[in-house]
Amino acid sequence: MKTHVFTMLTLVITGMFAASAAAAGDDEAAESLVFPESYKAGSVSNGGTITGTVTFEGEAPAMKKLEITKNPEVCGVTDKFDESVVVGEGNGLKNTIIYLMDISSGAGFPKGAKVKHQIDQKGCQFNPHVNLIPVGKRLTMLNPDKIMHNVHIFSKENPPYNKSQPGSRRKMPVKAVKKAEGPVAVKCDVHGWMKAWIAYIPHPYFAVSDENGQYKLENVPPGTYKLGYWHEACGTNTESPESVTVDAGGAATKDFTLSLKN
Amino acid sequence: MNRLFAKKSFIIHIASFLLLPAIITCPLFAQGKSAPAASEAGNLLYIDKCGHCHGIEGAGDGDAAENLLPRPRDFTSGLYKIRSTESGNLPTDQDLFEVISNGMPGSSMPAWKGLLSEDERWSLVAQIKTYFDGFEEASRRVIDLSGKIPYSEESVAKGKTFYAELGCVECHGVLGRGDGTSAPDLTDESGFRSWPANMEHSWNFRGGSATEEIFKRFIGGIAGSPMPAFVSSFRLGLTDAESARIIALEDQDEMTEEEEAEYTQLEEKAYEYEDIMLRIEEGEEITHEEQNKLDEAMKPIFEKSWHLANYVKSLGREGRPPAAVGDKVLRSQYFVGDLPGLNDAAWSEIKEASYFPLVGQVVIEPRQFNPSIDSVTAKSYYNDNEAAFLFEWDDRTKTLPQADDETGETVEDAIAIQFPVKVPKSPSDPKPYFIWGGRRPVYLWHWKVSEPNKITEMNAKGIDKATVQASQSQMQVEGVYEDGRYRLWVKRALKTDDRNDLKFEPETFIPIAFSAWDGANGDVKTKRAISTWYSFVLDPVPSNKRFVYPPVVALISAGLLFGLRKSVRNREKLNQ
Ligand code: HEC
Ligand code: HEC
Repeated sequence: MKTHVFTMLTLVITGMFAASAAAAGDDEAAESLVFPESYKAGSVSNGGTITGTVTFEGEAPAMKKLEITKNPEVCGVTDKFDESVVVGEGNGLKNTIIYLMDISSGAGFPKGAKVKHQIDQKGCQFNPHVNLIPVGKRLTMLNPDKIMHNVHIFSKENPPYNKSQPGSRRKMPVKAVKKAEGPVAVKCDVHGWMKAWIAYIPHPYFAVSDENGQYKLENVPPGTYKLGYWHEACGTNTESPESVTVDAGGAATKDFTLSLKN
Repeated sequence: MNRLFAKKSFIIHIASFLLLPAIITCPLFAQGKSAPAASEAGNLLYIDKCGHCHGIEGAGDGDAAENLLPRPRDFTSGLYKIRSTESGNLPTDQDLFEVISNGMPGSSMPAWKGLLSEDERWSLVAQIKTYFDGFEEASRRVIDLSGKIPYSEESVAKGKTFYAELGCVECHGVLGRGDGTSAPDLTDESGFRSWPANMEHSWNFRGGSATEEIFKRFIGGIAGSPMPAFVSSFRLGLTDAESARIIALEDQDEMTEEEEAEYTQLEEKAYEYEDIMLRIEEGEEITHEEQNKLDEAMKPIFEKSWHLANYVKSLGREGRPPAAVGDKVLRSQYFVGDLPGLNDAAWSEIKEASYFPLVGQVVIEPRQFNPSIDSVTAKSYYNDNEAAFLFEWDDRTKTLPQADDETGETVEDAIAIQFPVKVPKSPSDPKPYFIWGGRRPVYLWHWKVSEPNKITEMNAKGIDKATVQASQSQMQVEGVYEDGRYRLWVKRALKTDDRNDLKFEPETFIPIAFSAWDGANGDVKTKRAISTWYSFVLDPVPSNKRFVYPPVVALISAGLLFGLRKSVRNREKLNQ
């Protein structure tokens, strides 16, 4: 009885005082990409290309070494680093998504068995770090580690996804989604440091910059477009996108110089 | 995947030609009742009863939300923990009705069954659904429970192997106390701290501890939390031997041509089933035949899962243990000879430890609204000179002194056992204030993990008015952490020379209370879990008449008892 009264008292008190905020949640939802209202896929003749380099402005921050708190015999074989800012040759910025914000018709996604959408989890790190997965296409998670991972995708627009991938499943297909969204985080909760990004894209005019910061958009129908970027640590230019004009069969270039947001 | 659904889809098959519109609006029997249409009355009731936690627009941001962990659900997210439905699905209306009625134990979500009528609760189901668009479009597939395997020792033993194999151990720990090696780093989808359930404290399961509920939680996962769905743990449509073969082939550095062919064949066989499952998840129609095929493939998987559910069930107990009052009060039993040490088997002769529930200290700043230690248990023995105690409490992490992420203060795991300095003559006499005394002082045993073999004796006249005693009595102390549990063994003389210490005398009820700090939960100083006053009593010294010995044993022990009586008398003389 006594405890009951006591617990109730606690509840009442809990209700009465508004104080000491509990640990604030860090927002997993980074800024998003912009998708067209609708997109019509067809054939493109005489498409052009857009290429360019994404450069990190100023001195590149040192990559933080990740603390491997679990399964060191598998995950700790090589050093792992936080990949939120990866800067290469000539300050080239890796893992930036460059895309056409306002394209409403153009090519469809390339088809065929060669096109594989997969994320490797070897050594307890997602690779690639930034992934473009077409809407309607399945993704395969590879697990050569022979230890358990869980694939936790922080979707907002699509149904939640969090499934176990035991060590005995070297490949696990992940369902296709219906709505374009993201980039959303993908995490392994078992190995808390494992984090990557998935953008579910509705058209093929998205590219991720490579280790030299270079990107390429191909087969772009002639026209003038808004060219957007997204970077995990440098944010987006959704408010003031670049404008780029592609001539029939032509080659346009657009470089970007990004810095850490705030 | 499930028979009920198979039936359902069969009905849909026939009906789809005739009365499709009716099907869409009709509640499917497997999903229980459907909510009525949302109403203004439901909205007002919601604002009145649920709004201060869940926010008046359902976004989980009511006035009280800030202090609660887990946070009240944000209904605009469409993430629900307690579902009878498959991974990625929304809950059924019935699920929402049940969770509103029964509350979510271990969180601040109250049970509304006794407080609101059934109609009112249904109107709230309808109201909650208005905050998330997905409810209109999404079909919901219920997990098939028809293959339930009854509880048996045999089933439990089988389930135990899957517990490790499937990886429950990673988060929930070897013995299920929520202390797995992944536990310290978990956060939910909003970035808030998340702790794996302690399976021994199954009374805290949000969805209840029935075996079916456990089964549904790990088959379908706990949306929004780190806990994944485990329906994907096995290859569909392959025998155990075939699964093993695939793995063996994959582990080879190279495959011969035949092996390559064998591998491809096995992969394709598995993918055939996987594909059906994926298409269901993608919201596509599947045929009746495909459904049957999938059902068949799921059978062995569900069988293993029921064994696992039975195993998890076996770890918990029915309901929270009764608190240490009445006949459960902590009794120190008289022990003949030297008192047992920490790992002595004699402790397990006391079948049930006394149970002391703890709650957050929310009276004095800084407060702890979300304590992670929910109870302490105790056992005790005494002999003519000393009393020994075994205190145990579950803590998912061992935290040695470290700087807290948020406050920067040095935190560590610790406990304090509190007694009054002056024992009240009768139970109705006033005791010191339960949070470390006030006008009436308390006597404390303070233990911390960084000094596991030491107890500091203190006196306090308030939560921030504690002083270490100038003269520390001789106490033997041993504290260990193992598998998510602290075990603290303490031995002290019944009487000490210090008049600010408490004297332990048989048959006197002595108030006892606890404070516990979990460093990993940011506990330090006033921020901690506390109990109210309970009681502790040394059993009467047994007279030899009470012992009913078989004749031979009696003869042997007679001499011993004689010595014992003598020593008691000697002590009594000494004390006069
Ligand atoms: C004292 C605060 C509080 C009040 C009042 C409250 N809730 Fe909750 N509710 C919570 C918390 C906290 C959770 C989340 C618990 C968790 O995630 O473990 C929750 C979760 C829920 C859930 C989610 C269940 C699931 O499966 O995830 C529903 C539905 C819900 N509450 C309905 C209601 C309704 C309806 C009312 C009003 C009649 C109400 N709650 C009042 C605190 C509250
Ligand atoms: C990645 C970590 C992780 C793994 C692996 C994991 N769990 Fe959990 N589990 C959790 C967390 C976190 C919670 C608490 C969820 C919540 O309420 O927020 C939980 C809660 C539970 C609960 C309590 C449900 C309730 O109603 O509150 C059960 C039962 C459970 N898990 C069973 C299992 C079983 C069985 C397995 C293995 C098949 C497993 N878990 C594997 C993290 C995990």
